[in-house]
Amino acid sequence: MAKKKEDFDITKLPIEAQDPEIKAEDFVISDENKVVHEQKLQTKPTTFLRDSLKRFSKNKSSVVASIILGLLLLLSVVVPLADQSDVSVSHPEAVYLEPKLFNSGTGFWDGTKNFENIAVDISPDPEGIDKEANWWPNPERFERNAITKKVFTPETYTNQLSGYGKQGYLQTGYYNNIDDSKEFVEFKTQQMSVDFNVNVNHYVTEFDTYNEEKLEVIEGKDNAKLPENYVLGEAALYFNYIDGEEEKHSIEIIGYSSEHNIGSDVTSRATSKVNISSVIKSQSEQTVFEKCSFSIRIKNELKHENTCILLKKFSFATDSTDKAFKEQFLAPNFSDATECMRRESKIESAINYKYWSSTGTKQIYESKVVYCSFTYDSYEAKLGTKEWTSFPLTKLEEYRVKGWLDWNVDVDFEHGEFVLNLDTFAGEVKNPKKCPVAKDIAPEDVYVDPTNGDVFVDCMITFYKYYGYDSMPVYLFGTDKSGRDMLKYVFEGLRTSLLLGIATTLVCCIIGLIYGAVSGYYGGTVDLVMERITDILSGLPWIVVMTLVIIHMGSNFFTFALALCLTGWIGTAATTRTQFYRFRGREYVLASRTLGASDARLIRKHILPNAMGTIITAEVLMVPSVIFSEATISYLGLGLKNLSSLGVILSNNQSELTSNSYLLIFPSVIIALLMISFNLFGNGLRDAVNPSLKGEEE
Amino acid sequence: MLKYSIKRIILALITAFIILTLTFFLVKSLPPRGVVTSDDNVRYAFYVDQVNLGYVLDMPSEAKWLADEPLALVKFDNGVEHWFYQKPVLDQYFAWLGNIVTKWDWGRSTVLEPNSSAINIIFSRLPVSVSVNVIAVFVSVPLGIALGILAGLKKNTWIDHTISTLVMIFISIPSFVVITFMVYILAFKGGLLPTIWPTPDQSTQTKVLAYIIPVLSLSFGSVCGYTRFVRAELCEVMSSEYLLLARTKGLTKTQAITRHALRNAFVPILPSILAEFIGVFSGSMILENIYGIPGIGDLYIKALNQNNPDYNVLMVDMAIFITVGLLAGIILDLSYGFIDPRIRMGEKK
Repeated sequence: MAKKKEDFDITKLPIEAQDPEIKAEDFVISDENKVVHEQKLQTKPTTFLRDSLKRFSKNKSSVVASIILGLLLLLSVVVPLADQSDVSVSHPEAVYLEPKLFNSGTGFWDGTKNFENIAVDISPDPEGIDKEANWWPNPERFERNAITKKVFTPETYTNQLSGYGKQGYLQTGYYNNIDDSKEFVEFKTQQMSVDFNVNVNHYVTEFDTYNEEKLEVIEGKDNAKLPENYVLGEAALYFNYIDGEEEKHSIEIIGYSSEHNIGSDVTSRATSKVNISSVIKSQSEQTVFEKCSFSIRIKNELKHENTCILLKKFSFATDSTDKAFKEQFLAPNFSDATECMRRESKIESAINYKYWSSTGTKQIYESKVVYCSFTYDSYEAKLGTKEWTSFPLTKLEEYRVKGWLDWNVDVDFEHGEFVLNLDTFAGEVKNPKKCPVAKDIAPEDVYVDPTNGDVFVDCMITFYKYYGYDSMPVYLFGTDKSGRDMLKYVFEGLRTSLLLGIATTLVCCIIGLIYGAVSGYYGGTVDLVMERITDILSGLPWIVVMTLVIIHMGSNFFTFALALCLTGWIGTAATTRTQFYRFRGREYVLASRTLGASDARLIRKHILPNAMGTIITAEVLMVPSVIFSEATISYLGLGLKNLSSLGVILSNNQSELTSNSYLLIFPSVIIALLMISFNLFGNGLRDAVNPSLKGEEE
Repeated sequence: MLKYSIKRIILALITAFIILTLTFFLVKSLPPRGVVTSDDNVRYAFYVDQVNLGYVLDMPSEAKWLADEPLALVKFDNGVEHWFYQKPVLDQYFAWLGNIVTKWDWGRSTVLEPNSSAINIIFSRLPVSVSVNVIAVFVSVPLGIALGILAGLKKNTWIDHTISTLVMIFISIPSFVVITFMVYILAFKGGLLPTIWPTPDQSTQTKVLAYIIPVLSLSFGSVCGYTRFVRAELCEVMSSEYLLLARTKGLTKTQAITRHALRNAFVPILPSILAEFIGVFSGSMILENIYGIPGIGDLYIKALNQNNPDYNVLMVDMAIFITVGLLAGIILDLSYGFIDPRIRMGEKK
């Protein structure tokens, strides 16, 4: 209310205002007749929370982060519920399916994988017009129906032993640091267990080693050169035997030379062959030898160098007709060095007899191979339509009962039975949507196992139908080594991680709040003692505490959470303590205390609400750090075993980084996204709640 | 200052002592484990040493009446059966303290290198960890400071935003993810670097190249940390009144920054750099485990193997981590005082 005019009296003004120069008449009362009421606030009243929210929403990156975070939270709940696949059991039929989002053939995230430089088998039809269509990589590794976009390289040379390589040289020799006394290496055949009789003629028909010039001339290729870090040595062929007094003897059959051309071309083979029998006869009285073997010795005039020889072909021939002898004597023959290496390195596992063994090194050099690069559809390979040889008829009966498939049967009127006539068998697919059999079955595909009379069929089977899927399954994140759907597995892991993070943070928050409040509010001796306790506890590295708890109490969700809580609350306690120190001396607290408020009321009603903003943001930032700790310790293999947290998933798939990197990429991306968005969200929240801190430790 | 320093060191020693005592009792409360070895001679030697060191009682075979489960039954070469029993934990504790003080024997390894002194195993592995860490510190500290200064001086420009965003991202991604993918991309796909820490007999070139991934992965985190720290400090100093005064006095911007802003900003940064140098003595468990570096972090993980834990090695490894942590804390607090005598960290008001 405005004062009335009469009330104004200059004499009542303070003495210094009573300026005689200023008369009462000088004063004009403005707005004399205006009634001024108390006005409502023009701006909307705002709460602390709303104000913070406004500040928060101005920070764009934090808003984006909180949306991503919300999305992750939602997915961690929805995906495990919506995805019906069971991740607790293994699905052996669907292991290692690549992640698939788009149709196969799009080249990205389509369930295919590109393989490069895989050796292919070029033996079928090497000269035909459409020969490449028949060239396939190892069928044990790669299903043919899943291979598309084959691109062949021209014949190249490799020093790696491959199942489909051919020719090349057998490189045998030694590394340096061989003593002078041991200046040769032996490349020898196995000791023969049958007698070697030199009264019959035996020959060396092929002994083809290469020196540097010959390599270049014959190969005619630009990069014909010696194996790296080696020099070519000289080779000689020796015959070794042990006589009756157990003494070792050696007879030189062919002398040292850097190059042997025996039988290098077919026409001269008959003339250049070496008669072993006559050489031995000229040097030894003995004509029948037991325990004998042949060896190629290698030497180099320059000692202490890496020396090798390149052996292209080697073969013996004999006039003997003894079958057992011939088998053993001719076994070391080879005209294809790659094939020789292969049979000794057990790539062809059926043969495990070592024909040649070396006291030095032995490897393949410049083996010829054709490589192929192709796109491999893992879904087609595992669950597509493939031929199944010997599919049991009993299984087909099941389909027939369901009406998916039918075949003709003859009726035996005499016994009143249905008889299966294999000669006219014609299986017809009735329900192509359900029936795993993809093609009608012809009579020639059916046969009987003579041992027990079971009937088998060779037929085309669509595997996903066979395993009971309605359609070809699609795994967004792929599947792991036990066929688990990674999508569900990863989001279940995310849920576990989040649960652990939030539960631990809550517990830590409660403990830390009480501890910090007591220590900060009372101060003095109480504070001093409590601070020393936290000092000691925080001196323990968390990994130490965690491992001790896990060793003591085993590894499950609760012990894990407990271990994280044991030292986790210290941070909260410190924050709370600082905040309490800050606010406990404020005037309003003092005022309340004078009015007789109890300690509990002061803490609850006056200090805590003021400190809450800072404490809550600290807690929000604690969740990602807990998840981080859990993931780290699980990744090291010390953490949760039975539950699937993100860290455990990453830890389990650690070894598949090179072969199936998607198993690590997806969980890593999720955990990185979670961390980034949680941190951005927490920082935004802190800036919003406590604007004075902004930018300090962004 | 001297009095304060001595006080801090004594306090830290007491804390370390308490923590080690606590861990000793915690570890001893686990089910005891004997030596794991296939070599009988080592087994005999281990138990004989344990008796001599005062942890174990040697009972002749007729003393089987003891109620407790024996730690081990060992039949010696001469055919005499010896039953070994654990002494009470308190006895073991005092024996342990005595052995540390008199013989510098921190316990014997039971699994990793049976019956060799745990502290020697640690010391044999320490150089590798230290060498990797030292290089990482020398790479990351200058880089982090440079980026931090750049971001702080160009505050709220695109440079600052880019650096801050990258820092945010790299600090959020767990280090094991970074290391794993670094190994994948640089070593497996690129083929430039060794995929795993080389054995001693490999060439010098491989050995040098093998440092790249560990140093990079260790640097990522600390570069981010320093960038953030330096930027925050510099921003705070840049908005202070004395800098304004310096500019009003007529100093150029460069002069004001180098003589006033940076010097003041570095008061809290230098101590943390010193502490970082102490930190080189502790290995990085994750990195060493993934990259196969035979340092003490890797040793810790191996000693912690849940099927076959090696408690004594674990204890010494923990002791190293604890000591390094406390020492870094002291250095941090004391160097504050040296750099800015007004500050007495951790002292009463």
